[in-house]
Parts: sequence; C-alpha cells; structure tokens
Amino acid sequence: MKMKKFINSPKNLTQELLEGLALSNGDTIELTENNLIVNKKLKDADRVTIVTLGGTGHEPAISGFVGDGMVDISVPGDICAAPGPQRCIEAIKMADKGKGVLFVVLNHAGDMLTGNLTMKAVQKEGMNVIKVVTQEDISNAPRERGEDRRGLVGCVPLYKIAGGAAAEGKSLEEVAQIAQKFSDNMATLAVAARGATHPATGNMISTLDEDEMEVGMGQHGEGGGGRMKMKTADETAVIMMDALLNDLNVKTGEKLMVMINGSGATTLMEQLIVYRKCHKYLEEKGIEVVASVVDEILTVQEAAGFQICIARMDDELLRYWNAPCKTPYFIR
Amino acid sequence: MKLTIIDWKNGLKSSAKILKENNEMLSELDSVTGDGDHGVTIHKIAEVIETAVEKWENDILLKNFFDDLGWKIMGVSGGSAGPLWGTIFTGLADGLEDEQEVDKDILKKIFSSSMDALKGISNAKVGDKTMMDAFIPAVEEIKNSNKNMQEMLKDAAKVAKEGAENTVNFIAKFGRAKNLKEKSLGHKDPGAVSISLFFEGFVKGIEKNS
Repeated sequence: MKMKKFINSPKNLTQELLEGLALSNGDTIELTENNLIVNKKLKDADRVTIVTLGGTGHEPAISGFVGDGMVDISVPGDICAAPGPQRCIEAIKMADKGKGVLFVVLNHAGDMLTGNLTMKAVQKEGMNVIKVVTQEDISNAPRERGEDRRGLVGCVPLYKIAGGAAAEGKSLEEVAQIAQKFSDNMATLAVAARGATHPATGNMISTLDEDEMEVGMGQHGEGGGGRMKMKTADETAVIMMDALLNDLNVKTGEKLMVMINGSGATTLMEQLIVYRKCHKYLEEKGIEVVASVVDEILTVQEAAGFQICIARMDDELLRYWNAPCKTPYFIR
Repeated sequence: MKLTIIDWKNGLKSSAKILKENNEMLSELDSVTGDGDHGVTIHKIAEVIETAVEKWENDILLKNFFDDLGWKIMGVSGGSAGPLWGTIFTGLADGLEDEQEVDKDILKKIFSSSMDALKGISNAKVGDKTMMDAFIPAVEEIKNSNKNMQEMLKDAAKVAKEGAENTVNFIAKFGRAKNLKEKSLGHKDPGAVSISLFFEGFVKGIEKNS
C-alpha cells in the first residue's frame, strides 16, 4: 500500500523536518550546517551544558526539547536511527563552556555504540564530559539488568531536571549525580494498539491484530511480550500502573511524577482518560502525584498507543522540574 | 600475490555494488526482526565507500584511506551499522603503518586489528545473531589459513556466508531484534548477511583484476 503522508521525498525527510523545526522556532533554536539543533542562548551559557542524541521520526523528541533550561544541543540521526559519533563530538566541543558537558544517551544499540565511541574520543582529548544513560523501560528485563532496558520517554523529564540543576550553577559531577538519581527512580511502560510505519520505506515496522494490544512495546514497535485483547482505558491504566509501581517498589505516602506520552496516533482525549484513571488509582493507594504531563513527547510514525512514565520525586527534583525553561515543545 | 591499491579499489567497488544491489532484500530481512531499514543504511555506506574509492589518489596511504573511510562511514546516520562498519575500517587502519601493498601476513594483521576494534565497542559473540556471526568466522579463517591470498579471501567469504545462514538458528541477543526473543528464530540476521555480501563482493572484485 502506498503511504498516505504529506512528505516530499523520503530521502529528505530528516533535513526538511529539522529545517521546519528551526524555522518555526527561530527565537529559541538554530540548525547548524552539520544538522545540530542548538539552543540559541548557548553562547552566553556559563554553566554545565547538556548534549543528547537520537533518531528523528519521534517528534517532538528529541530536538523539540532544545532550549534554555533543557537540552543545549541535540544530535539528530536519520529516521529511527542513531547519528554517527563525529557530530556528537562536534556538538560536545561546541557545547562546552568550560564547566563540562552532560551527555545523555538512551539505551538503544545504535545510540549506545555512538555514545561509547564519542566518549572515547572526547576523553582522549581530555574534555570534561559525563555520560548518563536512560534505561527505564520495565518490559524487557528486571531492574537489576538495567543495561537490557530500553530508554523511552523518561529521557525528557531527565533533560528538564538536569537542565534545572545546571541552571542553578551545579557542577558537572552534581548535575550528573542528580540526573542519575532521577534515572534510577523512574520507570516507563508502553502499550501499542497499532504498529508504526517507516516513513522512508513505507513499510509497517510491526503489526498487531485489529482486536489486540501489546503492553511492553518498545519505541519503534519492537515487541515486548504482553499481547492481549484490547482493553478499556481504565483496565489498561491499572495493568500498566500496577507493573510500574511494583517495579519501582512505590509505597503509600510517596510522591510521584506521572507522564502520559502519546505515541502519535492516539488522541489527547484517550490520553486524558488514561491519565484520569492513573491519578485516581494512585490517590486511592495514598500516593501523591506532584508533577504530571499528558502530551505527545516521544512519538513514532502512525503508532497508536502510549507510554506511562512514573518517577519518584523529592523536593529537590521537583524544584528542578519546576524551574523555568523555553524550548519549542516544553515551556515553563 | 599482494593486494595493491588497485586491488583494494576493485574489491571495495565490487563490494559496494553488491551491497547496493541487495539493499531491498536487506531491508526486508530487517523488517522481520528490526525496523526494516538496514538496506537503506547499507546503501548509504556503500555510497560512502564508492565515493572514497573514486577520490583515492595513489599517494594517499592505505592506513589513512581506511581511517578516513571508517570515520566517514561512522558519520552515516543509520543506527548501529554506521559505528560498526566504520570501526571495521578504522580497525583495519590500526594494523597498518606505511605499507601500500598488503601481503598475507599483513592481511592477517589488519583483520585481527579490525576484529579487536570491533570487539572494543560490541560484546556480541558468535551465536548472538549479529554481524559478528559472519565477521568473526571470516576473520578467523583469514588468520588461520595457509593458502594463497586469493583462496584465503574466498574461504573467508564462504564461511561468512555460512555464518550468515546460521543466524536462522539463533535467538537475537542484541539490538531491537533481541526483544523478539525466540520469535527471532528462523530469520536471517540482516547485519550478518550484509557482512557476507561485503566479503563476496570483495573477492569478485579482486578476481576480475587478476
């Protein structure tokens, strides 16, 4: 079947979407010649800066979160694909304002290879860079095997919290420690009702039967195990929330961030209905929701479904979460 | 026999050609276990190889050529394949000094250094259903062979192909495919297939010349 999509040529997808992002947010970000998305205020930054990388096709992630208070430079790859290490090395050099760089990498094979090659190169040059890996998807390995857990939407609140800490003038070691603390205290689970298509090839990345959903679906539609008959919003919310609370071992009296991230083809109406149940369910359990987001944050082409991300919060993390920021798709 | 720059050019050009010709097949294989774009990436890598070969002046040292080519390939935005294929070439450069011709011993040395470089960034072993299922046996074949260079490379291409075929029997341990667990059985790993095509193309390319 021919793709029904408003694109020009599959070859130019990445370039054109990045140009569109930069043109529509000219006061906040700029696109460099080597396709880095850069915080326009980076040149005046006298603090720890934040660099991240990842494939495109997940808009607004990741480049939509570049700006003061979140990411300073994103290194976008092609659709669903990691960029190479050179541009990451260039980005880190460009970002470093003398206080060091926090380099955030999501745990996916290509991103990690690029991240490791980048770290080798910048360390060889004696640069002050600390890498933090996000690996909060609870679906494909137990917590103690974090290296086998994928990085999903949790990278975005982590950018926000690290950005808040950097803006307060914390040292690189401190910012990295705060980011790591947040990373260790978050958990995400995804559900899919329909798989994604690859916008360059037009092929379905994965398929599900009409009456099926899959809990534990990864970012690109790679499977995670839990296929079941389609459930209601409330039933789905409870299945997922139970798994998340259990994984993080959340107890009555604790404070949580709750994020519903739409995958691209699930409406805001559906997401809000799911959030409603999550919020009430937590209240019943005596767990306080102190931060929440319901939106499309990290999507993938045509996929229907959503991710629920929870994170254990304390006053310090909440302060960084609430700190001001201005990016194309997240403003505080 | 020694592999001269002309041989390397012919071999690499031929590899690039066969990779490009098979790009759709590679994407189809990848759509079973991954996200269906391995062929897209391999096509880009093949184009980088072709361009580099075209621009290769004979006074550029083989070491520098491989190193540049490796870094250019790493710059291809395509998930794991860019860093891995790039590291194969920068790894070949690691084993060279100022040689412009490669004899049997140097070939063994550069493929050893290439494999070491690759192992430095990936923990994948034979049986994990990755490109290593083709690359490791091919390099072992080269390292252990006493035949002439042409036979040696032919054998390497043969075991690479067998290695790629064998991946149907393995459960994926790396990349997006690993999430499929036992469902990944019965399918060839596209990364192993592209590596075997590379060796196959290279052997064809140098045969034409000799």
